[in-house]
Amino acid sequence: MNEDTQKDEVPLFKKWSYWYALVIGFLLLLILFFNFLTKHFS
Amino acid sequence: MSWPDWIVLSVTLLGMVAYGLYKGRTSRDMDGYFLSNRTVPWYMVMLSIMGTQASAVTFLSAPGQAYTDGMRFVQYYFGLPLAMVVLCITFVPVFHRLKVYTAYEFLEQRFDLRTRTLTSFLFLLQRGLSTGISISAPSIILSSLLGWDILWTNIFMGGLLIIYTVMGGAKAVAYTQQLQLIIIFTGMGIAGYMVIHRLPSHIGLSEALHLGGKAGKLNIITTGISEKGFDWNDRYNLLSGVIGGFFLALSYFGTDQSQVGRYLTARSLSESRLGLLMNGLVKVPMQFMILLLGVLVFSFYQFNKEPVFFNQSQLDLLSKSKYKDSLVLVNRDYDAAEAERIKERSWLSIGAGRGTVAGVPSQGSDGRDLAVSRQQAEDRLHASEAKKAGYKATIRRWLNDRQVGGDDNDTNYIFLRFVLDYLPKGLIGLLIAVIFLAAWGSIAATLNSLSSCTIVDFHKRFSQKELSTEREYRLSRMYTLFWGIFCVAVAQLAYNLGNSLIEAVNVLGSMFYGVILGIFLVAFYRKKVGGVAVFTSAVLVEIAVIVLTILSRKGIVHLSFLWFNVVGAIGVVLLSEAIQWMQGTKTVGKY
Repeated sequence: MNEDTQKDEVPLFKKWSYWYALVIGFLLLLILFFNFLTKHFS
Repeated sequence: MSWPDWIVLSVTLLGMVAYGLYKGRTSRDMDGYFLSNRTVPWYMVMLSIMGTQASAVTFLSAPGQAYTDGMRFVQYYFGLPLAMVVLCITFVPVFHRLKVYTAYEFLEQRFDLRTRTLTSFLFLLQRGLSTGISISAPSIILSSLLGWDILWTNIFMGGLLIIYTVMGGAKAVAYTQQLQLIIIFTGMGIAGYMVIHRLPSHIGLSEALHLGGKAGKLNIITTGISEKGFDWNDRYNLLSGVIGGFFLALSYFGTDQSQVGRYLTARSLSESRLGLLMNGLVKVPMQFMILLLGVLVFSFYQFNKEPVFFNQSQLDLLSKSKYKDSLVLVNRDYDAAEAERIKERSWLSIGAGRGTVAGVPSQGSDGRDLAVSRQQAEDRLHASEAKKAGYKATIRRWLNDRQVGGDDNDTNYIFLRFVLDYLPKGLIGLLIAVIFLAAWGSIAATLNSLSSCTIVDFHKRFSQKELSTEREYRLSRMYTLFWGIFCVAVAQLAYNLGNSLIEAVNVLGSMFYGVILGIFLVAFYRKKVGGVAVFTSAVLVEIAVIVLTILSRKGIVHLSFLWFNVVGAIGVVLLSEAIQWMQGTKTVGKY
């Protein structure tokens, strides 16, 4: 367990929670973008 | 296919086998064979996860799905990024900490041997069968379009990859998937460019999208809500995509060994997490682009003659049936309606574009007002479109005739028909190779995982004898070979399965995924529930889901297959809680 914890360095950010927020935020942005495309081209 | 296509196809496929054999050299033990000695970097984990999920059906059917039903299918993937986050928080750290080979090993530590064996068995059953369908789906399409023998197509689709998968294990799978995805994206990118390039000179990307949008093909976001309220039978909408898709993705990536086996090869927990999260970032845009290709093909056929039916082999079937004379007449009238439709569409598109169409006047040639001419052209366009739809419906009705025994769904043939009819020599071979490679990436990972479950969860677990490292390694290769042959045999048996293969695979998955996910959710989050409660509830809920699936197929229950995952998972959690409550509280140790 200790070995894994040592190797679990978070790239780019301080915490993994920032990565999670990035993934969820990007999904929300995509949904908004898709919604815009749906309305714009309908 | 022409000889340049055969050369491109042969070189690509044989090159891939050679690359797999070259890169697959690893230590002769189970750690090397199933986990690549845990040395794989995050970007290869990501590509391996993507390559495992994206089968040939993904690249064949998705453009056709967008062509016929629009892009709303992309919503099916909205739950995936959320599932990646939950996996990184809960599932992956536990699997890494316990250093398991299969996800089901954890269940014995948490519950008991019975629960582990049941879950692993459900995986073997479901994955073994669905992989057979994954082989037969593209094989049937290719053999229909190119006149290839189905047995040999199945053997090449599911057989050649066995060579490097048996020899090189997980390492060969990961390296070939990396190269396969590069070739696949290159091929699809060129195909996308060629569609736009072959549009009339005055039609750009924006105009093509407007054409698709006007025909309802850019329905990317749909709510599933009508005047009667929410439609639970609607397959793809925002709610079913986020909730149903979340449960499906959580189950697939968290409990399906074909995926768990990919991120367990990572060199650390951090690299596993990063690979999964990057998959969460790129998967939805990737699927969007594949579907967009279908919309562009739709726009292309607004200016070019669309086949009356995309699957030529079914037309050949009709031409040998009692409808052969009627078919000649329908073909003649259809061609006339198409010529009229294309003429009017070209004329009307001038206003939206920047140029002119050769031979088509840019304003009313008889001096009438342009607006009146436009209205008349639109009326004629709608009339010819209605005629076209009528002829297509007639063909479908004839194919549904029991005496003909045809397949009235040509969705899976649309993209490949376009490739064969309009792409240049050499590129056709590359696109056919893309279909093979997409199938190989997915099947190779599955064979590796079926083998790991067979030896780890069954052979080693129940064997009375102690196995040497060399013996384990040899058995692992033997089981990989066995599952490879089994899946090709299932593919051959599934030849007559027929309609809408992409959904057949998904429905089969949804029958088991929910229950398996429920077991894992109880394992992670309901720590007072023990093995007897979870095993009993899993069996009961699985029976309920199978009954629900049958009732849904018969139209008695109106529930789309994506919701089966939710029912299965929540059903197991609630029922096991109830059974545990009746049994009395149980406290389990840490895992």
